[in-house]
Amino acid sequence: MSSANPGLSYEDAPPFSVPLRYFLTAPLFGIAAGALLLIDGSALGSRWSPAALGAVHLVATGSMLQVMLGALMQILPVVAGASLLTPLRTARLTHPLLAGGSVGLSWGLWQGQPGATLAGAALLAAGLAIFLLAAALAFRRAPSARGRSDTPRDLRLALIGLLVTAALGVILATTLARGLSLPIDLPALVNLHAGWAWMGWGAMLVAATSWVIVPMFQITPAYPQRLTRVWAPSVLILLALWSIAAIASLHGTGIALAGLLCALAIGFGATTLRLQARSRRSTPDASFLAFRLAMTSIIAGSVAILGSLVTEADALSLLAGILILHGGFVGVISAMLYKIVPFLAWLHLTQAGIKAPNVKKLSPDLPVRRQLITHAAALALLLGAVFLPLLSYAAGAAVMLEFGWLLGNLARIVLAWQRAGGRWNPAAAAEGEKYV
Amino acid sequence: MSAILVDARGLEPPEPFERAMEGVADLAPGGELTLLIDRMPYPLFRILDRDGYRHEETVRDDGVVEIRITRP
Repeated sequence: MSSANPGLSYEDAPPFSVPLRYFLTAPLFGIAAGALLLIDGSALGSRWSPAALGAVHLVATGSMLQVMLGALMQILPVVAGASLLTPLRTARLTHPLLAGGSVGLSWGLWQGQPGATLAGAALLAAGLAIFLLAAALAFRRAPSARGRSDTPRDLRLALIGLLVTAALGVILATTLARGLSLPIDLPALVNLHAGWAWMGWGAMLVAATSWVIVPMFQITPAYPQRLTRVWAPSVLILLALWSIAAIASLHGTGIALAGLLCALAIGFGATTLRLQARSRRSTPDASFLAFRLAMTSIIAGSVAILGSLVTEADALSLLAGILILHGGFVGVISAMLYKIVPFLAWLHLTQAGIKAPNVKKLSPDLPVRRQLITHAAALALLLGAVFLPLLSYAAGAAVMLEFGWLLGNLARIVLAWQRAGGRWNPAAAAEGEKYV
Repeated sequence: MSAILVDARGLEPPEPFERAMEGVADLAPGGELTLLIDRMPYPLFRILDRDGYRHEETVRDDGVVEIRITRP
């Protein structure tokens, strides 16, 4: 029995309202990011422009972080056996802190108000501290291993990446607001913060969940174990060495290590595309296609970073940021949300003893497909705006439409769940004091 | 005595669970259902235990999980 594919145990999953509050808040920040692009045409002119910094954090901490933490609260008990002691209370504390912090941070960066930036960073840090503490306690109580999956270990590593990213962010915000004497210049510190956010946290979490989610929902063969065993630890070691090289001003070594990190990102994206090509699914659904676009974007963005390591062209950094953040992460997150939310709706109905409608009825493919086409159009416009600044207004409108539509599609699933008999209170009440 | 085979390999969740539950509903007393699935279906076990079905799992060399479910 021990050699079976890793199983999932849903009995430890938290109530639907726990992850859902994060999932439904995230698109609102995406809409705000689009509005910022629409208002301030300078956002896509340089990666250092205040509008770009504001928009990036609306997406990264406002939207992505919400979904990622919401998904973690769902996935930690299910795949790692790490049940948060008090998921509802943790959600009630972290969710508003993250939302408020993201507003303050993004506003402060955009408007050049260091006080707001620092206040936002402090709220975010408080929210993350609570979450990380709850997750660490959950892991301490979790069984040491389940099956052959590398996911539980890699989820832990991703949380280390999140901790380092947040710490670097707080140092940056404090430097901007109060002025700190640092052993490293500010642009290099920003690069460290972005590098840890990209590979140490974001890519690590996507990879850790993909080891399980891609074979299961996209009906592909399993990821090769020779990749899953070494990928995440290699990323963490390379990030640590790259950080030391940056602090020691070893530029050549730093470029070589950054190149290796890009190679790991390309390796993950290419392996996922190869697995998707071997899927046993007869017709690819919208989510499958979106995942494919996201992996292609991650590969292209990593190539752009490789280019930016050896040239001074700001356009390459911008292209890399758009490809990885919007094409990669927003694409993967949307594709995963369209799998996770209907599945959870079905699961909670079934666990409540209600005959649940088919998942495809809870979330029909056509509106999902249309929304994801908008996502692809927004990506194309964002990339075009790097070379043709006038396009940034159209890109902003497309991003607003994309996230608005995502919110609408998610709300549609929740309404279908409610129509089928799903209730917010009975689930929590039936589970008793376990969820407080 | 009835024998039912449900091949739930290569299906996206929660379809394997739904097919297994449909098969189980068709079981006569003393009947047996064999379920082939890509991974260990813990949520299904929980329902089977709750409803009084017996189940026995083996993992084949190719990683496929074979579950024999019997209705007492």
